[in-house]
Amino acid sequence: MKRIARRTLTALAAVGAFAVGTAEAQVKELRIGYQPSPIQDASIAMFETWGAKKGIKIVKVPNSYGVYVEKMTASLTSNSDQYDVIWHNDDWGQLWAHLLEPTDDIPGLQFAEKWGMDKVVFGNAQGQNTVVPMGQTFSVFFYRTDLLQPNEVPKTLQEVVDVSKKLQAANKVKWGYVGGMAMNHSWFSWFWSMWGNNCDVLMPFYERDNKVLAQNGWKSSLGEPCMKQTVEYWWDAINTHKISPRGMPAYDRNEANAIFMAGDAAFTVADSLWWGTFTDPAKSKVATKIAAARFPLGPNRQKNFAWDDIWGWAIPKSIPAERKALAKEMLAAMMVDEEGQMKLWKATGAPPPNTQFWPKIAAQDPFMKLLKEAVLDSPDKVRGAYYFPQWPAVHKAFNDAVTKAVTGKREDIAKVLAENAESVSKAAQGK
Amino acid sequence: MTGAGRPLFGEQTRFMLLLITPAALLLTLFQVVPIAIGANASFRDWALYNPKKTWVGLHHYEAVLSDPEFLWVVLPNTFIFMILSVAGALVLGLALALLLNRPFAGQKIVQTVLLVPLMVAPVIAAIMMRWMFNDQFGIVNAVLEGLGLDGQPWLVERWTAFGVIVMTDIWLWTPWYTLLLLAGLQSLPREPFEAAAIDGTSTWRVFTHLTLPMLRSVIVVCVVIRAIDAFRTFDIVWTLTGGGPGRSTELFSLYAYVLAFLTLDFGRGSAAAIIGGLIILVVGAVLYRVVDRIARV
Repeated sequence: MKRIARRTLTALAAVGAFAVGTAEAQVKELRIGYQPSPIQDASIAMFETWGAKKGIKIVKVPNSYGVYVEKMTASLTSNSDQYDVIWHNDDWGQLWAHLLEPTDDIPGLQFAEKWGMDKVVFGNAQGQNTVVPMGQTFSVFFYRTDLLQPNEVPKTLQEVVDVSKKLQAANKVKWGYVGGMAMNHSWFSWFWSMWGNNCDVLMPFYERDNKVLAQNGWKSSLGEPCMKQTVEYWWDAINTHKISPRGMPAYDRNEANAIFMAGDAAFTVADSLWWGTFTDPAKSKVATKIAAARFPLGPNRQKNFAWDDIWGWAIPKSIPAERKALAKEMLAAMMVDEEGQMKLWKATGAPPPNTQFWPKIAAQDPFMKLLKEAVLDSPDKVRGAYYFPQWPAVHKAFNDAVTKAVTGKREDIAKVLAENAESVSKAAQGK
Repeated sequence: MTGAGRPLFGEQTRFMLLLITPAALLLTLFQVVPIAIGANASFRDWALYNPKKTWVGLHHYEAVLSDPEFLWVVLPNTFIFMILSVAGALVLGLALALLLNRPFAGQKIVQTVLLVPLMVAPVIAAIMMRWMFNDQFGIVNAVLEGLGLDGQPWLVERWTAFGVIVMTDIWLWTPWYTLLLLAGLQSLPREPFEAAAIDGTSTWRVFTHLTLPMLRSVIVVCVVIRAIDAFRTFDIVWTLTGGGPGRSTELFSLYAYVLAFLTLDFGRGSAAAIIGGLIILVVGAVLYRVVDRIARV
């Protein structure tokens, strides 16, 4: 019996190898749909290394971030075979789950970090995973080492104000804090400060189980005191304390990063994957003067938290089987490409997808040591988005409301938030 | 063939039909069919990520027409933008055309330089403007601060952000008016102007009583085409403000786009687009009559 089973397995393996071999013989190129960014460029470099060895041409098809979701959704729902591998993000995990090929059978995924690949984020209706990680993508609180010692770094939102004012009064820096605030850049001011004040977009706070959110009527937290505090904090930071620029409510992350890299701000919050750019002397005036720390906390929270998500790659369900097989082979090779992942880390500052490489990097690099302690090994993690198809609509309704509140009169903040709470709940329910 | 054995169309008509067939086919495939699909979607539950396509009747139309944001922000913004942009670019374009209609040294060079904005993609122009009006690095605030004035956060206030959008659009479209109006000016007969010069008529009277009435048809065509085009402006607003702060600078096309492609509700987005199409159809017809009447006076 054992012999029969062994022979059957051998035969299946041979068929599998033949299938892949045939796929390689037929497929001469793989098309990658992505958005140009340091981490994606570094990840695609691994694909190209693999492609060069296998004689497969990697065709890069860049897409603008501003239209990526809509364009890719249209491509996926029209069953197009335009792309063989696409950039995937936790925000769209549930939006596309039913349109993507399950990836559980890709070797090397056992080395991926479990939190970021949780089924609540990327699982389809059958409980199968639909992503292969590209790297961990989360933000950290960056500060200037030429202005502050590590023990002087603010631990609370109030300290951000106090330290910023002190630095500004001493003419050491133009601004205290700068971060993106406009739509689709909410994470870099609104979200982290909200989470740090025990608050969230929907209630109950930090809940990501759609069933629980539905049971609670997809209730918006805009009318909650913690949200009022968060908006008032930024209103005061901009208008009263003047530690942040007046134009900040309209900033995207590029504008905020530019101000920080020009040396005009003491603090910013940005994805760790910008570390490579921030510390590049050709691009940053403060390249050698930057370090990172945990997020400062608001009055409602005492315990540190970490925000941890992944960016990944996915395979459209609609492409032919031989291209799926080859795409999976490429992603499997990427998962164990130590040299390529080390390059990805050095180019970006994003922890690479294979967790087995993390201790080695942390032993050599203090920045990774900090990320590992403060984020990757943190027991108190927050997810950066919600995982239902209406999330983009909820995000927009939320951002519209807080932007309206922060650009209006201070005394109207509570009223504006309360008036717009329903629009967030309605967006979550697709009304 | 008809019953009498004669062809339905004469040889000349058949030849004409043959000539327009490729264009008609293309128009049908790429204009009529997509509009029909969109119109069909507007009556159905058609989420882009999960198109159930169940019939919902006029539900999406009711939702759009009862949305206060659409009625009190988006539509007023769209018409204000249309009026300011069309009027601003027309006045500037006409002024430039009048200047260029007189011979002077380097006229051809000036004429070429003035056409540069026409060669710039609107998205590029909008990115350029966004950085020019950046409150930290922008040239506009640098000039203001150089003059001892306070720099402004241009894109944070509704009307300053709206002003930047209008200004960008005027900058982009003025050369188009200039080009067409200059061609119009150069095709005018000389005799009436020579007679006015012999009579000693003032420049202003020549402009108001001869130039403007004789340019009437060109102006009407320019205004109607541009007004319809302005109604569907998308790229510069999306790039400059994304419709913000909040939704305060949202125009009609952004409204439809956000519904269809950001909230991924293709049904409601299509309903908004159809409503917009009907509005612009009426506006276009009215505008044509009004402008034509004004130009006749």
